[in-house]
Amino acid sequence: MKFNRRDFLKMGGGAGAAIALGGGFWKWTQFPPVERLNEPGIERWIPTVCGQCTGGCGILVRVIDGWAVNIAGNPLHPVNRGTLCPKGIAGLQGLYDPDRIRTPLKRIGNRGEGRYQPITWEEALHLVSESLKDLRQKGEPHHLVVLGGRHRGLMRSLWDRFLKSFGSPNYIDNQFRWEEPPVEGLFLTQGINSLPAYDIDNAQYILSFGSGILESPWSPVQMLRGYGHFRRGRPGIRGRLVQIESRLSFTGIKADEWVPVQPGAEGILALGIAHMIIKEGLYHKEFISGQTFGFESWTGPDGREHLGFKEFVLSEYEPTVVSKRTGVPIDQLIRLAREFSSNQLSLAIGYRDRPFHQMAVAALNGMMGNIDVSGGVLIPRSIPYQSLPPLKEDAIAQRGSSQKRIDEGKGNSVDHPYLFAGNTLSGKPYKPKVLFLYYTNPLFSNPDPGLFSRALQEIPLVVSFSPYMDDSARFSDLILPDHTPLERWQDDPVFLNNGFPVLGIRQPVILPLYQTKATGDFLLALARSLGGQIQKAFPWNDFKEVMMVSLKGVFEAKRGDTFGLQFDEAWTRLLQRGGWSVPSYKNFEEFSKLLLEKGGWWDPVYDFGERDRVFRTPSRKFEFYSQGWEKARSSSSGEEKDSSFLPHWEESKEAGNEKEYPFHLHVFRTMSLTGGRNANQPWLQAMAGQHLFERWKTWVEINPGTAKRMSISDGDWVWVESKRGKVRVKARLYKGAMPDVVNIPFGQGHASGGRWSKGIGENPYRLIGDDLDPITGYPTHGTTRVKVYKG
Amino acid sequence: MHKWGMVIDLDRCSGCQTCMAACHAENNIAIIGPEESAMGRTIHWIELLPFIEGEYPHIKARLLPRPCMHCEHPACIKVCPVGATYANEEGIVGIVYSRCIGCRYCTTACPYTVRSFNWYKPQWPKEMQGSLNRDVSIRGKGVVEKCSFCHHRLLKAREKAKVEKRELLSEDYIPACVQACPSNAMYFGDLNDPFSTVSILSRERRAFKLLEDLGTEPKVIYLSEGM
Repeated sequence: MKFNRRDFLKMGGGAGAAIALGGGFWKWTQFPPVERLNEPGIERWIPTVCGQCTGGCGILVRVIDGWAVNIAGNPLHPVNRGTLCPKGIAGLQGLYDPDRIRTPLKRIGNRGEGRYQPITWEEALHLVSESLKDLRQKGEPHHLVVLGGRHRGLMRSLWDRFLKSFGSPNYIDNQFRWEEPPVEGLFLTQGINSLPAYDIDNAQYILSFGSGILESPWSPVQMLRGYGHFRRGRPGIRGRLVQIESRLSFTGIKADEWVPVQPGAEGILALGIAHMIIKEGLYHKEFISGQTFGFESWTGPDGREHLGFKEFVLSEYEPTVVSKRTGVPIDQLIRLAREFSSNQLSLAIGYRDRPFHQMAVAALNGMMGNIDVSGGVLIPRSIPYQSLPPLKEDAIAQRGSSQKRIDEGKGNSVDHPYLFAGNTLSGKPYKPKVLFLYYTNPLFSNPDPGLFSRALQEIPLVVSFSPYMDDSARFSDLILPDHTPLERWQDDPVFLNNGFPVLGIRQPVILPLYQTKATGDFLLALARSLGGQIQKAFPWNDFKEVMMVSLKGVFEAKRGDTFGLQFDEAWTRLLQRGGWSVPSYKNFEEFSKLLLEKGGWWDPVYDFGERDRVFRTPSRKFEFYSQGWEKARSSSSGEEKDSSFLPHWEESKEAGNEKEYPFHLHVFRTMSLTGGRNANQPWLQAMAGQHLFERWKTWVEINPGTAKRMSISDGDWVWVESKRGKVRVKARLYKGAMPDVVNIPFGQGHASGGRWSKGIGENPYRLIGDDLDPITGYPTHGTTRVKVYKG
Repeated sequence: MHKWGMVIDLDRCSGCQTCMAACHAENNIAIIGPEESAMGRTIHWIELLPFIEGEYPHIKARLLPRPCMHCEHPACIKVCPVGATYANEEGIVGIVYSRCIGCRYCTTACPYTVRSFNWYKPQWPKEMQGSLNRDVSIRGKGVVEKCSFCHHRLLKAREKAKVEKRELLSEDYIPACVQACPSNAMYFGDLNDPFSTVSILSRERRAFKLLEDLGTEPKVIYLSEGM
């Protein structure tokens, strides 16, 4: 039966259409059919910002006859300088994904059943607005929760503003955790809650503690460009890379040395190296005496004696202890310590392990003074946006905002998506009534996805803004599809490895393919429909207007310039150092025109030595003893030992005993399916596990010797079972697997999605989820034990 | 006369596989699904090949991006019974798809296994069809295909140079994989020009070619890892 949009409109609404298709079943991809709305024309290359991951690369999209036919890097964009990563190229398949959601949908079946009926945007707005009005009438606006994922810039400001004027403290950041740099370590040592820049381009020696520098950094192209430079970009200098990890990853393969340790044991190795550096007196004494706190023993204002990092590490982390725990020979430990301290500038990079393990890695950088120096850890300045006008909160909003957060987080500093799910189930402090899901897929990208699906069942109205039918959208009551990144306006503030702030501008390259709507525009419409102070807080017509207002601040900052060639960069910097600012634009109109033509704005200067920006700890120094954490804690608990604020090793509670579950489980990420968001893009599926020629499935890597002992052959299907569940995956013998560790890639196993992702492979996150970390409330990495058997 | 060649610096290469994705997008390479892939029927004009040697924990692993070598003495041309495979005067080895009879002698003869056979009629969902690259023809079922050094880009660059009434410069032409490579591990240019980047790099101490002893004389040159 042929059915087009005109027919649908004639029938006067979604209900009719659903019935016409029989049985009320609606496949979301059938409506509306593809239509070419775009004007024919000659070839154009339009600059915009890639939206396939968090990287923020500038791209040029080749558009012919209204079709986007190719994506190339924007040579002017300083993040990627004309290059790309596989995900960026597959952005075309994200745009033309045949399984995109094409119109707002309302659930008609049970949750998770996937039966939807198309509705109009007016109807969708009405439904959301009525339930929000209802919340405010009952005086419980704090029952609105927004779970937000990987997005930044003004869209984030809009969400905060909306929640503030509405009266809810509940914006919960649920980004894909293990993809991010070790931000907790940065908070504990430098008091900073944003991402650091690692200047790998200018480092001499990189000691990576399980960090997926080459497969899953937050901004892959930038990191890979930096890697190329680190290796061979400087005449006569070749950077040395050592990878400490429980699996021979791509980073391990490319590294000069691979040091295998059990999952989660990287932290104690860092402390062992710190021990050797202290013992041999190889640390940067000047930096330590001038800019750090807590290295030596100290006396508090109350007269209490406190243990210093130096004494603590010297007494606790003897090489024999560390060597026994990690299996790394003592001589190798000593060599790594000497190499790290003598090859300056050296950089230690960790992953989002337990916070105090991250802190141990950060302490290595602190000991060598590699903070706020070229080739070290840098803290980028933020983009000088013009702030949005102050808003008035009405009485309901004030009452709502002063309520406790549902995840019991403290302000915006610490988000606890896990506690959100747990508290939703337990109803303490309260149960949310409306949940917005924006750019996050909690039912897939968190350990223990079952917890989130149970939590979502408890919430009466779940609204998803996903353009794709992802695992969480399938559990939602309303789906209000956003434009995909290539169809919308957005700002993208990022920074470079060398700390330069960069503002990319995302502009639509083609007209929207379907009846989707930018979530920013929807949010503005929603504010208007709610009326009162909320409406007054959002006087703009669309998101682009918000963006243009905020960009005035960038124009007026009298710093930086729109993107240019590398030569222009040097020139701008030279002038700026001399106190001049000679941008390529004279007025705001020119500025905004150039922004769109070149792809964005940047400020190619890093201001060294601004201590207030770099150290935001109570002592305004690099803290080996985290006073920031001590302050945050003191209200809730009594006397604590000194060691709980020093970098220390926390033995994990392992899930399952060693006899029954003989293997550690290591979940790893690949370049193509890093966050599991791009699984419906066949180009990426076709190269998911190139080191074993695995594609379109999930496999488990087993050490050949171990496999032989268990009579498992290469290619057998096996069950991998933990206390929480089991998955059936293909066994692959991999020499880069440790004898007692099995490795499963993350990214597959979607319960919902498109034709190329649904039902393909398994999600290893189903196996993990015990052993929550006390600070983040999030499951720790590498503590799950599993057994493997044929099946 | 140009002699086009490529240099891949393995010390810069990070194994990210951008070259593979860029090639798929540029050359309209067919989507091969899960069942077909499991039978080894995937198509990659450039592929990242792993070499993993030794036993745990003493392992030496290497990752090697492998496009067509565009050999000076290609084994594939000699075995083709219908003359479908040829080398042009600039040294690029090409295929006339309409002549190919699908005998696959060439896929067997190529020592670098760069050639793929189309087991299926390539198909794209109708939503995607308009986003195919209009500069590259789609190969039908039953023909062999391989890397062309993005020859269509050369044709375009040459046309452009002609319109602008100037000689073709080697900067005018660059394959998609080289353009996209994030760690700048790939270089492309004229091997006949002794001062081109590729020529200079190909004379470096680290330079080597794959299976050099076969006498195929590849025009893809690798630079080894390490100092």
